[in-house]
Amino acid sequence: MAQVELKNVGKRFGDNQVVEGVNLSIADNEFIVLVGPSGCGKSTILRMIAGLEKISDGEISISSRVVNHVPPKDRDVAMVFQNYALYPHMSVAQNMGFSLKMRRRSKEETEAKVKQAAEILGLTEYLQRKPAALSGGQRQRVAMGRAIVRKPEVFLFDEPLSNLDAQLRTQMRIELKKLHMKLETTTIYVTHDQIEAMTLADRIVVLKDGRVQQVGTPIEVFENPVNRFVAGFIGNPPTNVFPATYSTDGGPKVDIGGLTLPVVNGKSASLNDGDKVLVGIRPDAVKTGNKIQAMDPAWRTTVDVVLAEIVGGQSLLELTAHGHSFIAEVEGHLTPKPGEKLEVGFELNRMFLFDPDTEESLTA
Amino acid sequence: MASISKDRWLAIATLMPSIILIGIFVYGFIGNTFYVSMTDWNEEQALSFDPEINYTGLENYRYLFSDSLSPEVQEMLAQMQETMGDDFPDDISMFTDPLGTRFRQDMVNAVFYSVLLLAGAVGLGMFLAILLDRRPRGIGILRTVFLYPMALSFIVTGTIWNWLLAPQGLNQLPTAVGLDPIQFDWLSSRDQILTFNWQRLLPVLLYILAAVLIVWGLMRLRRKGAKALYHLLLPGVVIGASTWLFGGFLPDVLMMEEPHGFNLATLGIIMAAVWQYSGYTMALYLAGFHGISLDIAEAAKLDGAGPFGYYRHVAIPMLKPITISAVIILSHISLKMFDLIYAMTGWDTATTGHPALNMFTTSFRANNFAKGAAIAVVLFLLAAMFIIPYLVSSYRKKKGVA
Ligand SMILES: Nc1ncnc2c1ncn2[C@@H]1O[C@H](COP(=O)(O)OP(=O)(O)O)[C@@H](O)[C@H]1O
Ligand SMILES: [Mg+2]
Repeated sequence: MAQVELKNVGKRFGDNQVVEGVNLSIADNEFIVLVGPSGCGKSTILRMIAGLEKISDGEISISSRVVNHVPPKDRDVAMVFQNYALYPHMSVAQNMGFSLKMRRRSKEETEAKVKQAAEILGLTEYLQRKPAALSGGQRQRVAMGRAIVRKPEVFLFDEPLSNLDAQLRTQMRIELKKLHMKLETTTIYVTHDQIEAMTLADRIVVLKDGRVQQVGTPIEVFENPVNRFVAGFIGNPPTNVFPATYSTDGGPKVDIGGLTLPVVNGKSASLNDGDKVLVGIRPDAVKTGNKIQAMDPAWRTTVDVVLAEIVGGQSLLELTAHGHSFIAEVEGHLTPKPGEKLEVGFELNRMFLFDPDTEESLTA
Repeated sequence: MASISKDRWLAIATLMPSIILIGIFVYGFIGNTFYVSMTDWNEEQALSFDPEINYTGLENYRYLFSDSLSPEVQEMLAQMQETMGDDFPDDISMFTDPLGTRFRQDMVNAVFYSVLLLAGAVGLGMFLAILLDRRPRGIGILRTVFLYPMALSFIVTGTIWNWLLAPQGLNQLPTAVGLDPIQFDWLSSRDQILTFNWQRLLPVLLYILAAVLIVWGLMRLRRKGAKALYHLLLPGVVIGASTWLFGGFLPDVLMMEEPHGFNLATLGIIMAAVWQYSGYTMALYLAGFHGISLDIAEAAKLDGAGPFGYYRHVAIPMLKPITISAVIILSHISLKMFDLIYAMTGWDTATTGHPALNMFTTSFRANNFAKGAAIAVVLFLLAAMFIIPYLVSSYRKKKGVA
């Protein structure tokens, strides 16, 4: 039963403000993912929660206890490191049992708990091996085993999958999700990989330059990004962004130089005729084929196909229309040939509008 | 016909001079020493221009390791009997060969020199490395300060410590705070502790075994419970008690009645040697500690290990290869303490003797070339005991890498 609460947390290294004003309230048993580009302060936040880094400003509490000055071992948190940080001279069993040994648990209890964790993670037959004799995926599991044996209140993961190859990464991602469902422990997970964030998280925290940009469920941050950065960072390929001019001539609309699209959602009321805006359209909001038959003709246009990449069930198209280049994601069997003309429709109810100066969303 | 390539010829031709020279001046002379140690090339013959040398087998070793008297000693005793007449005991077999007695105490000294230098330099070096690993201010300067003594020769170290350990040296330190000066004679004490009669080696070994089992058992009692009690503690008590009760029935080891022990006068020399080499082990360990990734230290922290637990269970065990090389390097340094002892107490102080000094004295001061050679051979075999495992392991390692 552990909630984690960050109140106005900041971190400075000398004069360098690395994390600033982070407020976050993590519910018991929640799976929270901190995501952001490399260097944005994700690890620093995690390490402050773990107690490995002093907290410069604000307050962190775990289960309603302020832990700012509690040493790591008394916070009842366990952490899985990016490069696993296994003890090379200890066997798998000793690695996993080390925290219990340090807490002076009896040998029998330690053995039983290590055995149980090894069963959950499929490590039973490797218990006597040294880490050097294990594959990357197995080491990863040992690192997780070391975290789960002592049933901590909070799990902390710092990019635990980034040293694995793509296939193993996907597999471990699924196992991690299942493990969380089984163990029901509050989990804070750091990654720069937005796919990991989307697939694992109950809620995503998007960070940039040490500041929280948005907190929300994966669907919320995907469909309603609060600013241009989140729209670009979450989702792959990133959102297409066009500079445009707003007008209300016969209903609200935006003019993207040659292409005029009606505005059907959002707080466009705050906008005046002639205001500059940024228009964001997700690649998967660009439709082709019979999907567009039902669309308002004003949502449709004809484009040139520059490039088509088939990636399995989906294809990525590079398209141009009226001198604007953008990406669309369509079903594989609808893939056109480069050089062809193509009729596309935009799902304008999913269009984003951003302020060109602040880059804040005008629709969210 | 297998032809040898030009490169190969060149290699052989280049190496040949050194092979020949090393063959003669190292291995040839080692062989010659072995031979000399089995002759009677002693005293008069040693000084004669055209010595008459006879092969005597292991005679010289017998004087070193048993109570038989060498001909030179027998002759000396006979002369004394003549001059002193009735005052001199009839039965000269009650005398032991002074060389042998001294040599055996030197061997005991050598064991203490080696063990204490090892324990002191590894222990102190490790301790200093741990202190510096906490990254205090001025770590760079401190590291140099601690490492510096290694750059000195043993002669310089010996001279410095000779001054420090003189009665008006370190012993006066307590007077600075109004206490009485220390009275201990670091280099000239004639006290001996842990003295025991070699005849009773068996009971002593059994007592040591019992003590180890009991201490070990007590240490494990908390975590292992009954297992420690039955496997360690109980056997330890039984062995100790029965040795105490029935030790009298244990046979004597086949050596002469002769007590030996730890000479306190060696303490000062050991301190100097530890001072010189603990900086070196510190540097080895410090490099090792710095090589451990920060993540591992942090993982240990989260796992609940305090600084002590981290070093005890993680860092020091991880540096086992460093400990092994430190032990091997220091153990053969400890066999070469000649210069340090020579500088601190001279070549003929019985209490601080070492077989290497004894060899020098016997050969070049008493002119007993053959007996000196026998001591040299014993030392050579001792050194081989340390070096060969080292060579084997480093050879294996090289093959593993290739
Ligand atoms: N010990 C440190 N001293 C100084 N700067 C640091 C330290 N640790 C991290 N930083 C800086 O803090 C910023 C955030 O780092 P980090 O939290 O590791 O980023 P992320 O995990 O998101 O990639 C980076 O600019 C990094 O250079
Ligand atoms: Mg990081």
